[in-house]
Amino acid sequence: MKRLSLFTICLIILVGSWVFLRFVVGGVISVPIPSSVIGMYMGLIIIAILVHISVEDSRFREFLRPVHETLIDDKRRIRRRVIAVLIPIFLLGYTYSIIAQRANPPGSPRDAHPSPPLELTYKDAVIGTMQDVVNPFRHYEKDDPEAFKAHVENGRRVYHQNCFPCHGDHLDGQGHFAPYLQPLPANFQDPGIIPNFQESFFFWRIAKGGPGLPAAGTPWDSAMPIWEDYLTKDEIWDVILFLSDYTGYQPRTFGEAH
Amino acid sequence: MRNRNVVSLLMLVLGMLCVLMLAHAQNAPEASEKGKEVYENSCAHCHGVEGRGDGSAAENLLPKPRDFTRGLYKIRSTESGQLPTDQDLFDIITEGMPGSSMPPWDTALSADDRWEVVAYIKTFYDGFKESETPPRAISLEDKIPYAEESVEIGKGLYVDLGCVECHGNVGRGDGTSAPTLTDEWGFQTWPANLAQGWNYRGGADTEDIFKRFIGGIAGSPMPAFEGDSFLHFGLTAEESKRLSELENKDEMTEAEEEESGKFYEKMDAAVDIALNRAEGMELSAAEQQTYDNAMKVVYEKSWHLANYVKSLTPEKRPESAIGNNVLRSQYVQGALPPMDDAAWETLQSGYFPVVGQVVIEPRQFNPTIDSVNVKSFYNDTEVAFLFTWDDRTQTIGDETDETTGKTLEDALAIQFPVKVPQGPTAPKPYFLWGGRLPVYLWHWKASAPEQVTELTAKGINNAEAQEAQGELQTQSIYKDGQYKLWVKRALKTDDKKDLQLEPGVFVPIAFSAWDGANGDVDTKRVMSSWYAFVLEPVPSSKRFIYPPLIAILSVGFLFGLRAFVQRRNSEEV
Repeated sequence: MKRLSLFTICLIILVGSWVFLRFVVGGVISVPIPSSVIGMYMGLIIIAILVHISVEDSRFREFLRPVHETLIDDKRRIRRRVIAVLIPIFLLGYTYSIIAQRANPPGSPRDAHPSPPLELTYKDAVIGTMQDVVNPFRHYEKDDPEAFKAHVENGRRVYHQNCFPCHGDHLDGQGHFAPYLQPLPANFQDPGIIPNFQESFFFWRIAKGGPGLPAAGTPWDSAMPIWEDYLTKDEIWDVILFLSDYTGYQPRTFGEAH
Repeated sequence: MRNRNVVSLLMLVLGMLCVLMLAHAQNAPEASEKGKEVYENSCAHCHGVEGRGDGSAAENLLPKPRDFTRGLYKIRSTESGQLPTDQDLFDIITEGMPGSSMPPWDTALSADDRWEVVAYIKTFYDGFKESETPPRAISLEDKIPYAEESVEIGKGLYVDLGCVECHGNVGRGDGTSAPTLTDEWGFQTWPANLAQGWNYRGGADTEDIFKRFIGGIAGSPMPAFEGDSFLHFGLTAEESKRLSELENKDEMTEAEEEESGKFYEKMDAAVDIALNRAEGMELSAAEQQTYDNAMKVVYEKSWHLANYVKSLTPEKRPESAIGNNVLRSQYVQGALPPMDDAAWETLQSGYFPVVGQVVIEPRQFNPTIDSVNVKSFYNDTEVAFLFTWDDRTQTIGDETDETTGKTLEDALAIQFPVKVPQGPTAPKPYFLWGGRLPVYLWHWKASAPEQVTELTAKGINNAEAQEAQGELQTQSIYKDGQYKLWVKRALKTDDKKDLQLEPGVFVPIAFSAWDGANGDVDTKRVMSSWYAFVLEPVPSSKRFIYPPLIAILSVGFLFGLRAFVQRRNSEEV
């Protein structure tokens, strides 16, 4: 078998890497890589190839030899003509597809967890500072498990009469209305949600809903209702207990300084 | 030698695994503490701790969560009056019931947990323990494959068997008796909209549909095709055809009277046998034969009917990812097509699902409208829209809500911002009829079908009709369970409260819809979050200039390169 020329090997490496990144990693293993990142990897591979072929004069000449041959050698006439047709056709199609592409609506950046205000309020009455307010029923967990259970059960009721169409029976943000809302309802089973915030933060998000988000909370699409209009303060605290009890995640607390 | 040991060990393990899997696939384990725990944690909030379908969520829901204490299960692979198999129960838990609030539990619960729940659910109804024989499965053996011919036969049966009465002429669930139906428990229930296969509770494969015919949908008004709930039960296809002919005659001769009398006798006998069988009586060989013959006809007709029903719905729910489905208005030269113009057929519909408004009281937890479908054309001065949506009942403002006294009627509202947000970080108005930022609305009501009112709103309860009503042309029609609304407006108006349209600019668009017969009024409605609308620009003529230019340049480059290499080569030599 004839040995592959250096040029062909480089071409195979280049195309092979792209296919690997785009279709094997992105498709078969299904970890899609953004096209900009693929572009960066491909850039690095091209630089590596250029370095490799230009280290020695002779190697560089060997690399260019098939190119030379294709361009001027009469034995390579057919290949030359095929390439002379294929390259312009490819460019024609590629530029056409770019120009004729339909525009897509502008995406909006989104801050999923915007900063809360300094003070926590319920229907305009101040409860306390965001940092200091704790769930008034949380202490029952240690002091009075029976009472705690009653509050969790009440929270379960509140949740299933109000929240589950969107946030789901399993609290995983997959309620039957969820697929048609943007942004998607919060997934409380996600380990990045409950443990990262204090209970006062949840109270704020529940009480004020989508309309209560600060200016940074663009794009203002959240379907989260202003629950302080419909739920009592205690019901909101109970539902927060239920969220952490059901998922097993503890909201963040700031323990006493030692 | 060692190799063989390894192989036989492997075989043994594999064999055991197979046996275990088979055992698992057929029967749920004995009810256990684990099943109770999973049930109480994941199911009880709807189905109730004691399985009565009275959990805390139930009061807001319709269809109601199933009451397990009566052993009535809608989705079964078993014959009429039979209990479901364990696999049936497992499948429903796994896949959920589309179109209702029963979600699929495939990711939230492990397969083991789901089997435990199956076992636990069965404890709510003693019939499971008492039944000694396994439930009789519906045979799928003689399936008639999907074909135009079969669909045609099915179409005839759809009328003959009386499906039209509930499911309507073309299957949108808009039959005359649709608004009057209740289930075993007395709750209102709507016949399925057969044009929306993605909402069939038990799946939309032909086999699924067929099983619903033969087994019925227990607890609902949908009958099983057996006995007197099936037209001409006991007659062959030919006999049935003949009897229909006779029945359609204004007057029968004596001979014909006699002939039809014989048919009735035959039918009565078959119906009696079916009743006896359903009650568990032993059938004699002759009776069994009569029954089998009757059911053979039922099975055959049911396959044809299943094929017809299958033909009524698209294969899949239309693509509906928010952000991806954009309403693109197509440019045309000259006048825009009116509502019934064939030009609309050339456009693909934008599919915009809606959900119940559960934000502001009064709320709608049980929507009956699935989606709004929209097409649009524009020209140099105007834009026209064609909105279609399925609604089982036409309510035109002659009914009032019993509790609020408000007038109930069907309606649609199309929502735009007054000003298009500039740039990706500019906020849109609140999706529920605006807030700090106002929205511009077109409000159509079934009581004034040729009129669209322009509204400005700063909140769902804060909408006002504009003083200066623009010249919106409107046409609408209600037919076979579907509304069509056609609206035309100028791209630009003089009114500052109106949205101004320009080709190529993406405009947020959202919908609200009201089904009067479902109690929708004011905030109780279905609605969507923001989608995008654009007057699709006429494709740039640049697409015919640049690509050829680049192709020609590349040819020139290749030639130049060749000439360059040739020259250098000859110099080197």
